[in-house]
Amino acid sequence: MDLFFEQLPIVLGALNTGFLQTLKLFFVTLLGAFPLGLLIALGSMSKFKPLSYLMKFIVWIVRGTPLMIQLLIIYYFPGLVFHNPVWGGGEGGRFVAASVSFIVNYACYFSEIYRGGIQGIPVGQEEAGLVLGMTPRQIFFKVKLLQMIKKIVPAMSNEIITLVKDTSLARIIALQEIIWAGQAFMKGSQGISGAIWPLFFCAFYYLIWNGVLTVLLGKLEKKLDFFR
Amino acid sequence: MKKLLSLLLVAAMGLSLVGCGGSDNGSKSESKSDLEYVKEKGKLVVGVTDFAPMDYKDESGNWIGFDADMATAFAESLGVKAEFVEIDWDNKIMELDGKTIDCVWNGMTLTDEVTSSMACSDAYCNNAQVVIVPSDKADQYQTVDSIKDLTFAVEAGSAGEDQAKALELNYTPVKAQSDALMEVAAGTSDAAIIDSLMAAAMVGEGTGYDKLTYTVGLNSEEYGVGFRKDSDLVAELNKFFTDSKADGSMEKCAETYKVQAALTK
Repeated sequence: MDLFFEQLPIVLGALNTGFLQTLKLFFVTLLGAFPLGLLIALGSMSKFKPLSYLMKFIVWIVRGTPLMIQLLIIYYFPGLVFHNPVWGGGEGGRFVAASVSFIVNYACYFSEIYRGGIQGIPVGQEEAGLVLGMTPRQIFFKVKLLQMIKKIVPAMSNEIITLVKDTSLARIIALQEIIWAGQAFMKGSQGISGAIWPLFFCAFYYLIWNGVLTVLLGKLEKKLDFFR
Repeated sequence: MKKLLSLLLVAAMGLSLVGCGGSDNGSKSESKSDLEYVKEKGKLVVGVTDFAPMDYKDESGNWIGFDADMATAFAESLGVKAEFVEIDWDNKIMELDGKTIDCVWNGMTLTDEVTSSMACSDAYCNNAQVVIVPSDKADQYQTVDSIKDLTFAVEAGSAGEDQAKALELNYTPVKAQSDALMEVAAGTSDAAIIDSLMAAAMVGEGTGYDKLTYTVGLNSEEYGVGFRKDSDLVAELNKFFTDSKADGSMEKCAETYKVQAALTK
């Protein structure tokens, strides 16, 4: 037990550093994927068919392949094939490559949720707007957008919580997030080896963070209830 | 709105195409030698894992260890800076070929797999699986035959366990090499099999296990540094190794991390 309390600060220090990376990747992904997802959604609903098909094709590829493969390809492909390691080998480069993979991947999932939200708005509202002399752009921003946001919150919450856990996939390109930090103590690091208990602490970090998000997203959902 | 958007997206697509074109310039660097490439960058990116005493972090987060210190000195001799990047060991060849690192310098055993996919330096360290016994009984157990009746503790999944299996020894798998040592010290096992680098650092006089010693070497393996295939850095490093052996700086560095017993002669 004494040994445990001796090792605890070392482990928590490493896990905190790892969790900071996890959080950074989480927020950067959301920040990038929210707008990009909307662009893809609008593109795939476009009346300009080539664009719509292109967007649907991209969404099919990205959603149809594992994120882990996308990470490996995005990070290693430029260096292996073009002999031009655009991301660089340092931790910063790995983070940028991971962020790009996550943003594109999550934007594709988000785009489908957006599309569902937009298309779920009764067509009568658009017709009414047109009759009142509103432009399609006005209808989108003044009538549809906020209703869409309200509708998609539960589905989005689901994706956001999945994202928290998916960030651990970035360890495949040696981004040192929290699971990497926890696993190091199994292999041996800073004098601690063969220890499984740091992984329980990792799980606890995820659990707490997802708990916080669940509460916050629940509150948001309540707040947007005024439409009904 | 949608037209604007389509234009925007088309522009984005166009940009990404330009991006592809740009990367062609990178292939020109192929004609450059690895040495020139590293010198131009001003840094040697060293792929490592957390592996004491070869590569590990000190309290302020800097990479130290026998390999890390030698890598820093080697980079200095080239007039560049060493940058350490922690990698996933399974991806080391991809990292190297994709130029995200310039060498793998991490107590790497020169196996067939390694030597066929990388350009490797001369071996700088010998490693072996050695038998640990209490010092007062060491005289009786100097040969492989003499240890057959002992009970062993070995790390599960280690090269030591492979040796114990191959020799059909009576052994208990434990979680770590350090646990195996603990077993011998506590008398719950007669002997342990761990690698000689660890043995040199952890048993014998002046260590935590001063009543233990190591006797028989069961197999031998060698450590080397891996570079990209056909890299001219290999010759540079071999020369650096020869020089630092001659002036004693390698020996001195090894003593700092207690791995001097394992150095190649």
